[in-house]
Amino acid sequence: MEDNHTSHSPDESEDQKNSTRRNFLKNLGLAGVGVATGAAALYSGHIFEAKKEVSGDQKVLLTQDGKLVQVDSLEIKAMEKTGVALHEMEGREGIPGRRWVMVTDLSKCRNARKCISACQDAHQLRPEQYHMNTLQMQDTPGTAPYNMPKNCQHCDNPPCVAVCPVDATYKRQDGIVLIDNVRCIGCRFCMAACPYSARIFNWIEPKDAATHLDQEYNVELNVPQKVGTISKCLFSADRLREGKLPYCVEACPNGVYYFGDENEDAVTNGTTKETVRLSKLLRDNAGYQLMPELGTKPRVYFLPPKNRLFPFEAATETTPEKV
Amino acid sequence: MNMDDNKLTLEKITSDLTHHIRINKGFLIWMGFLTVSLLVCLYAYSIQLKTGLGVAGIRDYVTWGMYLANFVFFVAASLIGMLISAVLGLIGMKWLTPITRIAETIAVAFAAVAGLVIVSDMGRPERLAYVFLYGRPQSPILWDVTVITTYFVLSLLLLFLPLIADMAIIHRKADSLPSWLKPVYKVLSLNFTDNPAQNKIINRAIRILLILLIPAALSIHTVTSWLFAVTSRAGWDSTVFGPYFVSGAFVAGSAAVIIAMFFFRKNYKLQDYLTDLHFNNMGKVLATVSLVYLYFNFNEFLVPGYKLKRADAIHLQELFAGKDAILFWVVQIGGLILPILFMLFRRFRKPLPIMFISIAVLIAAWFKRYIIVVPTQEHPFLPIQHVPQNFIHYSPTLIETLISVAPFILVLIIITLISKFFPVIPLHETARERGIEHIKFD
Amino acid sequence: MRFKNLLIIIIILTGGVTLSAQTWVVPDDQKAVVAPFKFTPDMQKQGEQIYLKNCQSCHGLMGKDNWAKLTPPPGDLAKEKAQKQTDGELFYRITAGKIPMPEFRNILPEDERWWIVAYIRTFNPNYVQPNPAALASFTGRIVTLAMQYSDPMKKIVVTASEQLKDGKTGLAAGVEVMLFVKRFFGKMQVGDIKTTNAQGLAVFEFPADLPGNKEGYVEVTTMVNDPKSQMKTTPATASFAIGAPTDKPSLTATRAWWSTRGNAPVWIILTYTLSVLIVWGFIFYILFSILKIRKLSNG
Repeated sequence: MEDNHTSHSPDESEDQKNSTRRNFLKNLGLAGVGVATGAAALYSGHIFEAKKEVSGDQKVLLTQDGKLVQVDSLEIKAMEKTGVALHEMEGREGIPGRRWVMVTDLSKCRNARKCISACQDAHQLRPEQYHMNTLQMQDTPGTAPYNMPKNCQHCDNPPCVAVCPVDATYKRQDGIVLIDNVRCIGCRFCMAACPYSARIFNWIEPKDAATHLDQEYNVELNVPQKVGTISKCLFSADRLREGKLPYCVEACPNGVYYFGDENEDAVTNGTTKETVRLSKLLRDNAGYQLMPELGTKPRVYFLPPKNRLFPFEAATETTPEKV
Repeated sequence: MNMDDNKLTLEKITSDLTHHIRINKGFLIWMGFLTVSLLVCLYAYSIQLKTGLGVAGIRDYVTWGMYLANFVFFVAASLIGMLISAVLGLIGMKWLTPITRIAETIAVAFAAVAGLVIVSDMGRPERLAYVFLYGRPQSPILWDVTVITTYFVLSLLLLFLPLIADMAIIHRKADSLPSWLKPVYKVLSLNFTDNPAQNKIINRAIRILLILLIPAALSIHTVTSWLFAVTSRAGWDSTVFGPYFVSGAFVAGSAAVIIAMFFFRKNYKLQDYLTDLHFNNMGKVLATVSLVYLYFNFNEFLVPGYKLKRADAIHLQELFAGKDAILFWVVQIGGLILPILFMLFRRFRKPLPIMFISIAVLIAAWFKRYIIVVPTQEHPFLPIQHVPQNFIHYSPTLIETLISVAPFILVLIIITLISKFFPVIPLHETARERGIEHIKFD
Repeated sequence: MRFKNLLIIIIILTGGVTLSAQTWVVPDDQKAVVAPFKFTPDMQKQGEQIYLKNCQSCHGLMGKDNWAKLTPPPGDLAKEKAQKQTDGELFYRITAGKIPMPEFRNILPEDERWWIVAYIRTFNPNYVQPNPAALASFTGRIVTLAMQYSDPMKKIVVTASEQLKDGKTGLAAGVEVMLFVKRFFGKMQVGDIKTTNAQGLAVFEFPADLPGNKEGYVEVTTMVNDPKSQMKTTPATASFAIGAPTDKPSLTATRAWWSTRGNAPVWIILTYTLSVLIVWGFIFYILFSILKIRKLSNG
């Protein structure tokens, strides 16, 4: 903690450098811990955010004890295996130039629930914990019932993020709303604020918590889950970083999901891998958003359940055991 | 005025107001009972700390339950300090003098405990400091935590400042005082000798506090109402939630003050100081704030009930005729309408009946918070499906109930301690109002 | 064919219920298809990468039996059921797909599809690759595509040439060609399938509103539409500045209620800080003046 932030002399051994950097980044994640009063914390928070701006190939960073240091951006790249702190930084910034968008074709969903199990496997969730849940909907008594896979809408005006007291949930430049369960205090204000009931809480010790004790926390996957903190759909931010489609999108056997980048005006179907134009898909199929009147500006679109490929079957209520 | 008379009267007042300051059997039994109960509740909390919030009945849909209702209730009850001391006090209502300290005691106790109650609702209580370290000013929670802390400090100062003169009198004049307490009072009296310079400081400080108290108190309950009103959920999405909560807070607080007045008067034999007039007047205050609250209730249900937007319609249906109907009507009628009707008559504003009415109002006030917090969450915009039964309907667990009882015990302990070791009625002020202008501090 | 017999037995046993799910018969002429080149360790390595990116999410890691629980089950390709199939069968299934298996025809070029087969075969110690289909003995058309952007026409012109029997190169008429633009998760087809004219030319209109990068560059690929794999084709890829230049601001660029603390609306930061400072200023003033009371004592 004392002198990790000092610049490295050239004759330092590579190992030492690495460990110094590791500590340095760890400290970064903890920046502000020493600051006690509200106003001072506000100020340091401002700097904490500001450090993310890159200027040339030098980065200005704030150390834990409040010193500004310049670090070569190449050096930062070299720290790829510094774990939680790096994930934290990358995870908070997002992928530049992207605006992820999802299109869910309700005419194709037959409640196979493959998306749900793929998601629950990836995120270490128990059966009653849903990032993605297929609901049996009927808008009014006279209209036809249909299946609606519902996940976090990754709103551009996210009510959940607005109410978070500690920046534990945040929106990234690529549109994804993420959760930092190292920061989350478990007040559940975001759950109350979300009109889509998209958020879940780890009421007790998460599934197989004991076996994940040594796992490094990945903010883009939100594993390992932590008791007393929030979890929700992440648009599989970890997969997007690898250029892969989200878990649910790939797992769907019925071609329900399209996922892509709004900036490219293209979405790719997870089942057929066919890439189509987003604007045309929405135009041709009268795509819509969930509860747009709330002004949340979701990043998930739905295609109406017309010309359904499968008849609607009332789902046998799959009720997980009491928890 | 004769010097001897003066002395006699002051001594009589001092003795009347301080004779209870001694450790007796009743006090020990009462405190023992409270302590044991608190330990039981703390044991329940230790289970929650170990296992997680899952020991409570709250789940993913009803995510705020008893704990949050409790929090709102405690914040609400603490507001009375501001109404009695600041609003009525600044207007200059002389009859309030004996009640101000009771109101401030209640404000301090409830505000202090409200801060703790919210911790019981946190999934990660050990991260409480994050609210200050990483606090976002866009979140009502940062404001809530800030204003509750501020209000608590303001109330504590307002409780302490008038006590300085009292302490100065007590440690000199009260003969019945346990000897080990006298040095404590001497320190607390800050060598007060009633000289003009000292009085000027105290009076100015009190005046600043009274003025600061008004925005601080209005803020704490307005901000607390925003925990709900900033969401778009049916039943919470309301623009009158701020004043609705504030007026409701005055109802709960006034009732709490009346109950405290009754028991202090009886236990500490203060019949000469807390007279029927005080109960009568407090009855009028309670009736008035209840009428204001009734008005907001009317507004709060009539306006969405007129339009019956889908989510609002489901919510109101459940409240008026559904699952929550019995609780809802008992609270609205038994805790608001009937008390107002009774309090219109003078005979029900006598100490005993008004105390019973206040107890009914206070209990209803707690359940009213429960009705505001819980039913809304049972009807989100999208259906609740494929989850266990206990996710759909909220029912509190035993551990949760015990943890929710703890703050009440804590409040009782704080109020008991403050009232036991300090005069319940402001001594110096009472003496002055009874014509004793100069008190000799030798 | 033992595989076919097995299928028939399964169909009979399950009473034909799973008929639609299980019968995925590869045409006989496709079964006999062999790779156009000898598999090399390099190809197998490339194939592994392609497999991990495109196939592993359903089929799991090779030999680990951890394929996704789908209907019909994707199965582990290291196992006998897959390894019994001919190279042509594997290649056909990758190429043509069948819901829920994607059709990789337009997602991966032909070579890369063969590399996946090469990788799958590394899990079969008994595998001996049949002799590659020698180009000499190949009787179908051998087509090579080229592409350029015509500024005056504002169009993409695809030129198809083919290897003639006499070894010379001529323009290929009547070849169906397609145009794709690269997107984050795959190639997106632009316009319809065109047939080259007598000059071997096909002209594509590129939608001007299709987003490119900051400068409007897009990476386009042209491929021959050859669903039955009757030709040997070489696609062409190029970058042209023909898309709509796109440089959308970051979604977190503005200060908003939902921004992080440092990016909060200025008036909120000011209101909060000032209120706290003012009220607590008074509180500290009062605390300070309380200390003075003691000093002002008479006694």
